[in-house]
Amino acid sequence: MIIQHYLKDVKKGNISIKKTVKSILREAKTLNRKYNCFNVISEDLALELSEAQERNSKGRLAGLPISIKDCICVKNVESRAGSLILKDYKPPFNATIIQKLIDEGAIIIGKTSQDEFGFGGFSTNTDNIPKNPFDLDTSCGGSSGGSACFTQLTKNPHASISESTGGSIANPSSFCGVASLTPTYGLVSRYGLIDYANSLDKIGVMTKTTQEINPILDIIAGKDEKDSTSLSIKRNSDNKVKKIAIIKEAFEIENKEIKDLILSNIKDYDVISLPLNKKYSIPTYYIIAMSEASTNLAKYCGLRYGATLPLKGNFDTFFSKVRSEYFQKESKRRIILGTFARMSGFRDAYYLKAMKVRTLLINEYKKAFKKYDILISPTMPILPPKFSEINKLTPLQNYQMDALTVGPNLAGLPHTSVPTGFIGKFPVGTMLISNHLDEEKLLNFGEQIENRD
Amino acid sequence: MGNLRCGIEIHVQLLTKSKIFCSCPTSGSEEPNSRTCEICTGFPGSKPVLNKEALHQAIKVALALNCKIAKTTFFSRKSYFYPDLPKSFQITQYEVPIGSKGKFENIGITRLHLEEDPGALIHKGATCLIDYNRSGIPLIEIVTEPDFKSPNEVRLFLRKLITILSYLNVYSKKNEATMKADANISTTGERVEIKNVTGLKEIEKALEYEAVRQEKEPAKVKETRRWDSEKGSTSLMRTKESEEDYGFITEPDLPKIEISRELVSLIKSEIPELSLDKTSRFQKDYKLKKEDAEILSSEKKLADIFEEVAKKINPDLAAKWLVRDLIKILHYNKTTIDELNLDTKHVTELLDLFQQNKITDNTVKEVLIQLIKKPFSPREYIEKNKLLIVSESKDLEKICKDVIKENSTAAEDYKKGNEKSIHFLTGQVMRKTKGTADPKIVEKILKKLIK
Ligand SMILES: [Zn+2]
Repeated sequence: MIIQHYLKDVKKGNISIKKTVKSILREAKTLNRKYNCFNVISEDLALELSEAQERNSKGRLAGLPISIKDCICVKNVESRAGSLILKDYKPPFNATIIQKLIDEGAIIIGKTSQDEFGFGGFSTNTDNIPKNPFDLDTSCGGSSGGSACFTQLTKNPHASISESTGGSIANPSSFCGVASLTPTYGLVSRYGLIDYANSLDKIGVMTKTTQEINPILDIIAGKDEKDSTSLSIKRNSDNKVKKIAIIKEAFEIENKEIKDLILSNIKDYDVISLPLNKKYSIPTYYIIAMSEASTNLAKYCGLRYGATLPLKGNFDTFFSKVRSEYFQKESKRRIILGTFARMSGFRDAYYLKAMKVRTLLINEYKKAFKKYDILISPTMPILPPKFSEINKLTPLQNYQMDALTVGPNLAGLPHTSVPTGFIGKFPVGTMLISNHLDEEKLLNFGEQIENRD
Repeated sequence: MGNLRCGIEIHVQLLTKSKIFCSCPTSGSEEPNSRTCEICTGFPGSKPVLNKEALHQAIKVALALNCKIAKTTFFSRKSYFYPDLPKSFQITQYEVPIGSKGKFENIGITRLHLEEDPGALIHKGATCLIDYNRSGIPLIEIVTEPDFKSPNEVRLFLRKLITILSYLNVYSKKNEATMKADANISTTGERVEIKNVTGLKEIEKALEYEAVRQEKEPAKVKETRRWDSEKGSTSLMRTKESEEDYGFITEPDLPKIEISRELVSLIKSEIPELSLDKTSRFQKDYKLKKEDAEILSSEKKLADIFEEVAKKINPDLAAKWLVRDLIKILHYNKTTIDELNLDTKHVTELLDLFQQNKITDNTVKEVLIQLIKKPFSPREYIEKNKLLIVSESKDLEKICKDVIKENSTAAEDYKKGNEKSIHFLTGQVMRKTKGTADPKIVEKILKKLIK
């Protein structure tokens, strides 16, 4: 049952909220044992919220179960962004979007597993690795792996709130065969989102089908006084898609099956070349993201919250010990690389140059949107890999997997990943990119091309 | 010390109601960590929102120091680890400060920027506690060119700077002890930086120490030294080779700030007449001596009292009383004009009585001492305590007669030509009148009566 039908039935009193919530909690616990899709199942909070809604159901999402990526703060529920350094950390406040969802009657059921702080494309850089719904030896993609995994597996009405910095929503939704929207940068408040790279982080939505995204987006979008980068303008209401183009470089991938499947699903398209993005988006993205991340991670030092160790020696030694002990390898790598890129002597060549190149990349997209409503690309260049294959990748090969998703993320452009059928047992996603604030066009076109087997 | 060159970097806390990036109050409860929230303690997911009041105050100071105001500016992250710094980076300004290229008291102002204060470490025996009440209080950092030629010049400059800041109402003199400064100083050798000197007096002491030290041992490489206020000396922290690297990046949570011309002119219009302008106006309009005009304009409140009083009282007289006596009384009582709850009406009333020769010098002083303790009407007080000058009335004649009667020997001595006796008799009359009589008149009456 799609979300809209469920919400209507709840309004009519045909469905018991409590029953639905109990059912999804039971399901989550069972699935979690096999797939590791949750870091926390917030049973107490879910029951408390459903109790209140059962008595007096109100709000536009009354009774809808929602899972939340671990990096978004839920008051009094462990929120650790997939990291052991925030083990047992229970935020004293709700993220703005959590408060909005609760105010509209949504039921928060738990925190989904992810790469530590969003650092990865396979959800393997963490202590709780989610497994692909179609094959247990295979990755869900990342970093929002747990969200995509559970969205695919659940039989209950449900949406998942996830987050993307360089492709962390689109990537796992493609690998798990679900629909997703990564909105325009600033459309959804980031207040209460545990930062990866602030100038890139975007909170978005995953659902089984594209048509279910809008009711959730309607709630979470909007200006927030607590996030200075949140936009005060609304998204465009025009949803007519007149002209589309495929991105030439995005279809120069090795996997011919993916390419053919996606192209067979669309018609009447032009071909556009985005050579700057092809050449520079990966290095630009990684320099900016790591520079910002290395400053964001500096606050985790065992002093005020999260994991700690017995206080011994001077503060430098203590901080180093805590950070060495609890950060995963990939976090350490990004802290070191990010710090290097912004050090004096290297800052001009790396951080400042990347900031300039970012503007050029945005301009390349902006030019394309003068002519086209939507640009099309495969979401991922490969089918979901096995864990054994991922282990063999070098860090650089690993970063290359983001080749198709980092462009729109760097430019803050909205994009969807639309389920487009299967190759073998694995799903394939088509990525649609539009101009800033043209989410309606994306969702409209996404519904049209979505594979509904 | 002919070759001495010195530039300073001063950190001043602004006087906003709430902190720079959150809504916690900047003053109130002193209980540690009682004025904190998730933002000023850097909890994961919290985000800063700029307090416009802090921006406006910084622009105001930049304008008063004749700085150029940036059209567009932004914040940056300055990264370093220290337990009092909750996010392990300080939000500050790096590439484009709010103000630059200013001039004040003939000293070049390199830049003026806005940033957040870290928390405070409280050492208790072997342990150290952290109080984040201070964390997030807005600071401005003012950097000067190396234009100072002596520590004394620095002291005078800072005094004048503090006066201006109080005039602008962005600074509380109570913070003087916590004013922090770094200084660059060189004599014949390389430049030496002195870090983290707290308090105006300490700044001058540190510079004087360093000037003398460098004369004896000029620095061969650029170095940074720490001021130890207890020992009264500096010690080496690091040399140029091991300079700290703060890895500045743009603060991505705060959008660029556009400072419009309209905003700048609005803030400009809010700037009151500053002390230098006031000094020259007082000299011109009230024909005051330069020294008096300077003292009166050194404190906005004092200058305001003066102008109010001078509406009714002769300016010379008003200036004399305010500059000489009021300030002396304040010093004696260890209080400042800022803390004073003095009603200008009362001062005018008091000086008006004096102007009309109804009270003596002594009475003015006595009443003034009372007035700074609590407000009351001087006229009523003087009448009640019979402090009006006893004029050439029968009352005074009667008192003089009594005194002659009581001191007949002295009166006789005067008759015989002993001039000193008349002073003794006058003194006796003054004592009986509690000093309210005019001694010259008393003398006249006495002489007349004795003849
Ligand atoms: Zn606060």
